[in-house]
Amino acid sequence: MSALAAGVRKVGAYAWFTVDCVRATVTHGVPWDRVMSESYKVGIRSFPVLFTMALFVGSNLAIQGHAAFSTLGGGNLVGMFVALAGVREVCPLLAATMVAAKAGTEMAAQLAVMRTKEQIDAIEVMAIDPRSELVAPSIIAVMLTLPALTVLTIAVSLISSMLVAVYQLGVDRGEYLSFLVGYLTAYDLFAATAKSVVFGLIIATVSGYFGFFSERGARGVGQATNRAVVTMCIVIITLNFALTSILYG
Amino acid sequence: MADSPSAQRPFDAIPDGDPVISFRDVHKSFGDKHILRGISLDFPRGRTTVVIGPSGTGKSVCMKLIVGLLVPEKGDVWVGGTNVPDAPEKDLMSVRRRIGMMFQDGALFDSMSVGDNIAFPLRRHTKLREAEIHDAVDHALEQVGLPGIADRAPSALSGGMRKRVSLARAIITKPEIVMFDEPNSGLDPLTSDEIDSLISRMKEELGITFIVISHDIVGTFAVADKIAMLYNGHLVASGSPDEILHSEEPILRRFLARNMDLPALPGAKP
Repeated sequence: MSALAAGVRKVGAYAWFTVDCVRATVTHGVPWDRVMSESYKVGIRSFPVLFTMALFVGSNLAIQGHAAFSTLGGGNLVGMFVALAGVREVCPLLAATMVAAKAGTEMAAQLAVMRTKEQIDAIEVMAIDPRSELVAPSIIAVMLTLPALTVLTIAVSLISSMLVAVYQLGVDRGEYLSFLVGYLTAYDLFAATAKSVVFGLIIATVSGYFGFFSERGARGVGQATNRAVVTMCIVIITLNFALTSILYG
Repeated sequence: MADSPSAQRPFDAIPDGDPVISFRDVHKSFGDKHILRGISLDFPRGRTTVVIGPSGTGKSVCMKLIVGLLVPEKGDVWVGGTNVPDAPEKDLMSVRRRIGMMFQDGALFDSMSVGDNIAFPLRRHTKLREAEIHDAVDHALEQVGLPGIADRAPSALSGGMRKRVSLARAIITKPEIVMFDEPNSGLDPLTSDEIDSLISRMKEELGITFIVISHDIVGTFAVADKIAMLYNGHLVASGSPDEILHSEEPILRRFLARNMDLPALPGAKP
């Protein structure tokens, strides 16, 4: 019971922190120079890793889809499989977990180190709200860049899956594209980007929460980073189920 | 005085030498550790007050209470007409804008150059042009004796230089109160002397209120107009350097003799 109460208290504290970040942003304004630098950090620096992962996730989707449908005599349905599984589910999750693992942990660790070195205290003493200065720019940056990264992930995985399907598995390019376009709609792209906006909010606020309230010292930095990445992944996976149910249920 | 400290008046209405900051029966705990046990202490305007005492006795806690980084369980902390623990955010921000703070390890932002660190509060609080900000940064660096290092990274600085840069950042907004958290800690004796000289020089140049947290006896007498000693959460002595030097208070005598094996006060936890 006490563990449940502690859990509820933490969720409440996280929700209050998120509201506080929004309130601080509205009250004190957005430091756009920091939004730009955070967007660069999240978007540009995450893309090479994401590109590599999307390349091979797309190719594996093609191989698995072809293997599954070939037994039923429908190997050319691989385009449909990639459209349904890849675009709707795998790519938004892939981009979100990758950004959580790379940019999210970096944000949590950076804030925890700033807490340890009294840099967050220094910002407060300067009459600047550290939530609007440090966390709000990350929230805006991740919510803006993650949808773009998701669309790029989709594009890369579609191209890689088509290349593998056509040149490795011998699927007719016209049939691949025909099934892909037949099943992939504008709504799927809307749903994928809508998911990524929600995931972006989760990544920035969860990493911000654990970093901002970390204990001081090396142990505190390690714990904050670890708790942030575990929480982000669990919440993203759980929310993905809820969002899929809402968007496609 | 206890019921109506002058620190309850706005900054501008407080004459030089009258309290600009007043602690009244302040208690602060962390868990079951009672750090401050009813402190009442005044910090006079335009003077340098040094708070001394052994490590862990609540000196830095006092500093954090003044700027509202911590909130006491009981008692008032008046700063220029504002009771900080009860202040709405707008008033708290107003108090903080009148205070600069030099942190123990500098608290410089690693991701910024020295110049950007010092310029940071100006960029956030003023609409000065970049050229004016550069001039102000250069002037602040000259004031702390470090001209021409604006482009360096904080990681390339020694401990003493980091403290000086932290001071430059603290004074660039022309605050009315500057607080120093352990300015001599971690420094060799020569650098420590340089920091003491810098504090004395800044005191002459700026003529504002300084609050120094220290356990360095030599440095304390070099800069102080008033000395207060905390021990086990109690204020055990307070007065001018001369009064402190001639005090018969046994704990203070022992502290001044650098004997840190101090006995507990009645009622204090061991």
